Amino acid sequence: MNIELTDLTRRFGRNQAVAGVTLEAGPGVFGLLGPNGAGKTSLLRMLATVIPPTSGRMLLLGRDPRSYERRREIRRRLGYLPQNLGYYPSFTVVEFVEYFALLKDMPPGRVPVAVAAAVERVDLGGKARAKLRTLSGGMLRRVGIAQAIVNDPELLLLDEPTAGLDPEQRVRFRALLRDLGQHATVVVSTHLVEDVGAACTEVALMDAGRIVFHGTPAELTARGAADGAGDSPLERGYTATLASARMTGTRS
Amino acid sequence: MSGPDALPDPAPDLVPDPAPDLGRVWLGVVAQVWRREPGRLERLAARLLRSPALARALLTTPSLLVPWLIATVVVLGVGAGVSLGTGQPMVALLAPAVTAAAIAYAYGPAVDPAWELSCSMAVSDRMVLLVRVLAVFAVNAGLGLLASAVSGEAASVTFGWLVPMTAMCALALAVATLARSAIAGAMAGMTGWMITVLSVRVTSGQFSAALTRTALVLPYLAITVACTAVAVFASRIPTGGSG
Repeated sequence: MNIELTDLTRRFGRNQAVAGVTLEAGPGVFGLLGPNGAGKTSLLRMLATVIPPTSGRMLLLGRDPRSYERRREIRRRLGYLPQNLGYYPSFTVVEFVEYFALLKDMPPGRVPVAVAAAVERVDLGGKARAKLRTLSGGMLRRVGIAQAIVNDPELLLLDEPTAGLDPEQRVRFRALLRDLGQHATVVVSTHLVEDVGAACTEVALMDAGRIVFHGTPAELTARGAADGAGDSPLERGYTATLASARMTGTRS
Repeated sequence: MSGPDALPDPAPDLVPDPAPDLGRVWLGVVAQVWRREPGRLERLAARLLRSPALARALLTTPSLLVPWLIATVVVLGVGAGVSLGTGQPMVALLAPAVTAAAIAYAYGPAVDPAWELSCSMAVSDRMVLLVRVLAVFAVNAGLGLLASAVSGEAASVTFGWLVPMTAMCALALAVATLARSAIAGAMAGMTGWMITVLSVRVTSGQFSAALTRTALVLPYLAITVACTAVAVFASRIPTGGSG
């Protein structure tokens, strides 16, 4: 298992962002769904070793990130796309991806070809030498994805990766996700239920810091009633599961 | 070619599929076209720092315009304060703390757009910060040396602040590289600076006078509190996003 979480919590002052998450995930595409403030981003940031958990146990790629050396080993094999990734406007696409490839401690000799492959995979070959300040929001998001996959990560964490992508790019991106998920654990946090349906092999639904559902997209779909709220079967499953979890939470 | 001299067609299962090789060749070509060959300075820095990533961070620090401007304004402002406060060792001792806090702020989460991503990298973000501090001082020291040719005040700031601090930052980075610990490097740099400042003051008999003047206690305390607040703000962990 590339991700093993046991009773993981994270607090920010009085706010409990993640409340006792227990989860295991191996290779494949893992969708993380949930409303705003559910704790998805905080969970992803802990998985990215950006913030430590307040309590609980976390093993990533079989290593405990509390030790600096183990954390460094994890980070070498990690790809991360934050929700609000800013860009250095004076860098070109290649310079930006190359800079982060070097910060991931990739062997310098491998970097140019890895950068070229990542830039081509997100279909930005034609803009490789363009300054980031000249690119559209969707293109910048693809630059972010390129830096995340440049080291061919075994654990890839993507927070709202399709935000700003046009429909054609989203379709291509889902194909890329399926491809990456064949050998890596890809965790995708998203609001877009259709992304999960099209690309994910497993899905977890978070609400109020807890995982209220964990299964396959088909199992989530099966929870929805035909006349429930939502435009697609998966959306109906999502809203029904969320409503049921909130009802249980209110009762308890 | 179908005559008797024609080579026989190879068996279909022995013909390699050209598509994967073409893809690899294409990537090799574009990688060569797109790659930016590191300059001499970057290659030298990579060798000294034992890290191409830190060398790249060092060389690209001035190109991050907003953080660079904030850091430079503070470095020059504090430098002016140090040269005005000659004879007050506490001013010289607190100056690096103020500057370090300001540079940490400028290249921290509040201003650096890719800070969170940098925090998930294998190369320590503290080492990157040390490299950035050196870049800020070194470039300003270079510019200060040029300005010293025409201005006495510039010479005073350059030789009393920018050049010695560049040397201390280089010392800090050298120790950090050898010890593989940014904290050890920062401690070495601060210790070096304190020894330099205090030894100069002790020889001129100003050390005890400056430390025992009660009128200076409040300003020193205020500066210390302000530095601590900035450092805490610069290194704070923001809460989760919308998810």
